[in-house]
Amino acid sequence: MALVDKLRIVQRAAANGAAIHPLNKDETAPALISVEQVGKRFAARGGAQAFSALEGVSMQIRESEFVSILGPSGCGKSTLLRMVAGLVPCDEGRILLGAEPIGAPVPDIGVVFQTSNLLPWLSVGANIRLGAKLRNLPRAQVDQRLPALLETLGLTAFADRYPHELSGGMRQRAAIGQILLLEPRVMLMDEPFGALDALTRDRLNVELLRIWQQSTLTVLLVTHSIHEAVFLSDRVLVMSERPGRVIHDVKIDLPRPRQPDQVKSDPLYGEYVSQLSKLMGVF
Amino acid sequence: MKRLIETVSFWIVIGLVWEFGVRWTGTREYVLPALSQVFAAGWEMRGQLLADTLATAWEVFAGFALALVGGLAIGLLASMSSIARRTLFPLVTALQSMPKIALAPLLIVWFGYGFASKLAAAVLFAFFPIVIATMGGLAGVPRNLDEHFRALGASPARTFWHLRLPAALPALIDGLKIAMPLAVIGAIVGEFIGSESGLGHLIVFATSNAQTALSFAAILMVTALAMLFYWAVELVSRGVWWRGVTV
Repeated sequence: MALVDKLRIVQRAAANGAAIHPLNKDETAPALISVEQVGKRFAARGGAQAFSALEGVSMQIRESEFVSILGPSGCGKSTLLRMVAGLVPCDEGRILLGAEPIGAPVPDIGVVFQTSNLLPWLSVGANIRLGAKLRNLPRAQVDQRLPALLETLGLTAFADRYPHELSGGMRQRAAIGQILLLEPRVMLMDEPFGALDALTRDRLNVELLRIWQQSTLTVLLVTHSIHEAVFLSDRVLVMSERPGRVIHDVKIDLPRPRQPDQVKSDPLYGEYVSQLSKLMGVF
Repeated sequence: MKRLIETVSFWIVIGLVWEFGVRWTGTREYVLPALSQVFAAGWEMRGQLLADTLATAWEVFAGFALALVGGLAIGLLASMSSIARRTLFPLVTALQSMPKIALAPLLIVWFGYGFASKLAAAVLFAFFPIVIATMGGLAGVPRNLDEHFRALGASPARTFWHLRLPAALPALIDGLKIAMPLAVIGAIVGEFIGSESGLGHLIVFATSNAQTALSFAAILMVTALAMLFYWAVELVSRGVWWRGVTV
């Protein structure tokens, strides 16, 4: 089903006041992504001792779930995300997509990095299409999806501009657009808003929430921001210092669909933020 | 417009200083001819001058083109294969370290007095910077982009075409800008050592006959030719506008 159709169905459901998202309705649903006892060691360089980046990491992520990983710097959360993306091999354990072990990048998984990774010599439109081109998606299909996607991301007027003419927030939107155009089942995000100013970050959080609530996309987000994690996620996984392990799995029971203007005034929101702050050792 | 006037005025002043400097000091023509005498000598021998210019231009053009193809090929090979980096690249470096002028007489022995030896000399001079620029450009592809392409499942061929090549172009163009004047020098050196045509030949011939004005005319022609070729590369390089643009 095309993204546009999905959006339409979900919007209709919203108009009827029906439960919007398949999420969390069935907590016993089989996992879409299973991380099983995964470990990663990095070899010594120049006489330094080899060290263990991740140890016995396990997690389950269901279809259409939004899960964030919070952890201190250097805890291996980005490495874990790259392992799920098939970019870095596991030294121990395994990672499954459905029933299939992930050993290399697969079309069902798209990755948004902290840097927008747009090519300076391509227009924004061409950059967004680049992923589809590299993945050999039919051109007609891409042409059909693109206008609605550009509209959703507020990039319609910027399609013919070049990346360096855009603000950091706009570039990150384009990077997300490149992945959304592929209609993956899973979108992995590695601190996608980490390099943006606070205001732009908040705005993009709202847009990401809106886009995700209108789709069936499964998102795994690595972030430093407790607020961001609570605002967006169904569950927040907290990782320990190196060697990284999942030490807490916090379910965020804020009602769905979340209204961006209401979430943060919900007393529960503040409670989750302070609970996670304690778990993270902020205070 | 104002800038153009500034540039042109500067050159006119240089020309006037040359012209009247020579006249007022009474310098003899065979030591340093006045600019007007240079033009007169060039105009008088215009048929010869034009023929020699064309001959040299062809050597430079063909030599540069060949160096470009060969340099790209070796640079690509060295950047893709570690075996090539350990074998071919040291050989290229050794060749580069040799004083190429010392090789020029040998080139005449191997390739004769005609076009081929000048072509070989031009290639020899222009080749190395292109190899280095190709390797440097390809090695300089940002790692985050490389990883992004891997995450998108791009084949090596597509990664090369859509990422590595365009990312390497700014560095490659820099190499071409260095190589272009070297190709001119190569062709002229080849003509100096032994030839029957070309501007290098004309310079040697005119100087040995004390026709210093004609020699200067030929030198000005070489300079003009080299600048023209350089501008051609410069013009192409404007298409690679993303130099230094980071996003």
